[in-house]
Amino acid sequence: MADADITTPVADAVGEESKLVEKAVQEVPADAVKELIHHQVCVRCIFRLFNIHEGIYALITPATLYSIIEKATEVEAETTKSSQKSEVKSNICSVCLGVMQFSYHDHKDVLVEKDHAADFAMVVAESVKEKYPEIASFTLEVSLPTLITENESVILSYMKKKYASEVWFQEKFSFEHIISVKDALKQSITHSLETLLGVKSSVSDFRIRLTYEHVDATSAENRMGKNQCNKRIKSGMHSNGFVKCSNETVQSGDVSDLNFQLKKVGQPCHMTLTCSTAPVYIGGRYLKLSRNVSQTRWIIDDERKGEASVEELIGENILPVCKGDGYKFHAAGREDIDVRMLGSGRPFLIEIQNARHLPSEASIKEMEKKINSLESNLVRVKHLKILGSQGWSLMREGETEKQKQYAALVWISRSLSDGDLEAVSSFKDLKVLQRTPIRVLHRRSPLDREKIIHWMKIEKIAGSSQYFLLHLCTQAGTYIKEFIHGDLGRTHPSIGSILGCRAEILQLDVTDVKMDILNE
Amino acid sequence: MTTDQDSQATVAVKDNRIVVDDDDAEDELHKLLLPNLDELPVSPPSAMEFNFVTYFAPDFMKPEHDQYIYRHANGLCVIGLAAGHVAFKDEGGITAVDFNVGKSNRSEIKVTGKRKRNAQQFESNTALCKVCTNNAFYIVRCCIKGSLLEVNDRLIKQPELLNSSADREGYIAIIMPKPADWLKIKDSFITLDEYKKLRHL
Repeated sequence: MADADITTPVADAVGEESKLVEKAVQEVPADAVKELIHHQVCVRCIFRLFNIHEGIYALITPATLYSIIEKATEVEAETTKSSQKSEVKSNICSVCLGVMQFSYHDHKDVLVEKDHAADFAMVVAESVKEKYPEIASFTLEVSLPTLITENESVILSYMKKKYASEVWFQEKFSFEHIISVKDALKQSITHSLETLLGVKSSVSDFRIRLTYEHVDATSAENRMGKNQCNKRIKSGMHSNGFVKCSNETVQSGDVSDLNFQLKKVGQPCHMTLTCSTAPVYIGGRYLKLSRNVSQTRWIIDDERKGEASVEELIGENILPVCKGDGYKFHAAGREDIDVRMLGSGRPFLIEIQNARHLPSEASIKEMEKKINSLESNLVRVKHLKILGSQGWSLMREGETEKQKQYAALVWISRSLSDGDLEAVSSFKDLKVLQRTPIRVLHRRSPLDREKIIHWMKIEKIAGSSQYFLLHLCTQAGTYIKEFIHGDLGRTHPSIGSILGCRAEILQLDVTDVKMDILNE
Repeated sequence: MTTDQDSQATVAVKDNRIVVDDDDAEDELHKLLLPNLDELPVSPPSAMEFNFVTYFAPDFMKPEHDQYIYRHANGLCVIGLAAGHVAFKDEGGITAVDFNVGKSNRSEIKVTGKRKRNAQQFESNTALCKVCTNNAFYIVRCCIKGSLLEVNDRLIKQPELLNSSADREGYIAIIMPKPADWLKIKDSFITLDEYKKLRHL
């Protein structure tokens, strides 16, 4: 088990690995290796291209790897350059652009160079632990510049052409199955990360993403000219069409051609480490006690409509507990800013993005208490709890069958009679045809919607003959205000038409949202 | 209040605590619903008065051809015949309404979609319909430049709506002007008070 301090067990492990690597290297054709070294392919990439796993996991430094190769292939130090060993370190690999050399510019643009995969893993682990102290597992993702794939296929086709006639090529190493840079990088650090983070790597909601980008990496399309390529490349596309392109144009095995086609870079990639988690869903029911609070944040021309929003009152009190980046609010239907939501409350869902802390049950109860004791007393919540990813589908269930119950304060242009109460109560499942109300016609389709009023009941108000409370239960999507005042006859029938007089609505309250979810 | 769900407890608010007792909760809810009569006006403003601003276009293109424009905060305008329109002076009032004027039958246009792209663009002097009385007929015009979203096709079968409630159920059409076009024309209209004075109503 590799720890941060180098103790004897590690040295032993290194010795063991060296032996394994030496053995694997003995089978590899020396001249091919020399050729690759000459073209500044780093040692780990050489191992990759020959499909040797042992060299990549390495607790071993590139210098050690290199000396193993040296021994096996009798590579002479080229006289034109100074010590090859230092060159090994300072030259950026022409294929992996430094990725397999654990050499990159970090988010502060500082050059980072690590000899051991374990050291690199440590850098990654520290960064992750800092931002996400509680994780249960992780998935490692790597994103690389396309230039790496391009250069790799250039080298591979060159090698294939040059050594096509060799026995070893036909029988053993044919460069058909290589270890990709992505796989190699992941394999190098995954085990170390597991140890450092104390959790396993698996299919996980928590993703660690290493994004490598290169400033100099111009696409091959620009180099070779557009007429030579069959396909036009869109940015970000992984270049299957591209690889074909570069293979077609590598006609000769000339060294000079290869040098021309390999895009060499002067410095390593820029690497960004990002982490993300699956969102946390918290649901419940809310009550809106104010006639001046909108459901969601409503800002026009930099001015807020209403004094607050349900979305923010709830979201701002949940977000910090979950230590998330942001939240999205979703409710089962909505009510106007001047309509109160009372009684059973309306089901809602808050999605917390990138939550670093999963709240406990006790914590959730605390949140509920806190929101309910806010001084402003504009909003209440109940049945607050954590939902799984079924949260969204829960909201959608039975949406069209949802019935809602309302209480409206109605005024009519004549006195109420007992006959009126009977008349109104007699209607069961009354069909109403509503044209899109004028107040929303500017942003909704002009349609005729048939809606059902399941039942209605008038409640007299002591002291008034023209004001009364109308209780009604309707199909989801019914415009209540328009059913009361008739919207210039565009909603028919309406209370006015039923009672044969003018009717106006002064206040509306939602008293029940009948849904089988979030009830306890 | 009839709440016939046994499975769900009606929850309401009482002294800052959430109460889960059925009867208690219902009482609390009911208290919230009842209004304070002292705060209510004897005769409240109508939905139209509350949500729309009313303008009048007197003598639009012809003497005594008075029309109203109700403009909503969302920019939509409801067009109709004002009380002083000459058609109401004819014996028997309005007997028929015909939307087949100009090049098309305005009642046959179907506007669809949120963007209302297939709505017809009309000028302020474009004819909307013909209203007929026993003696004559009169052309009703758009008064504002914009897209015609809807005509009140109920007038075809029930022209008497104009006699009884020209200012509500007897509206003629709904037009959506562009903000710039509205600004250009609004100053040519007058308010309700000014109109009343003008026509001695």
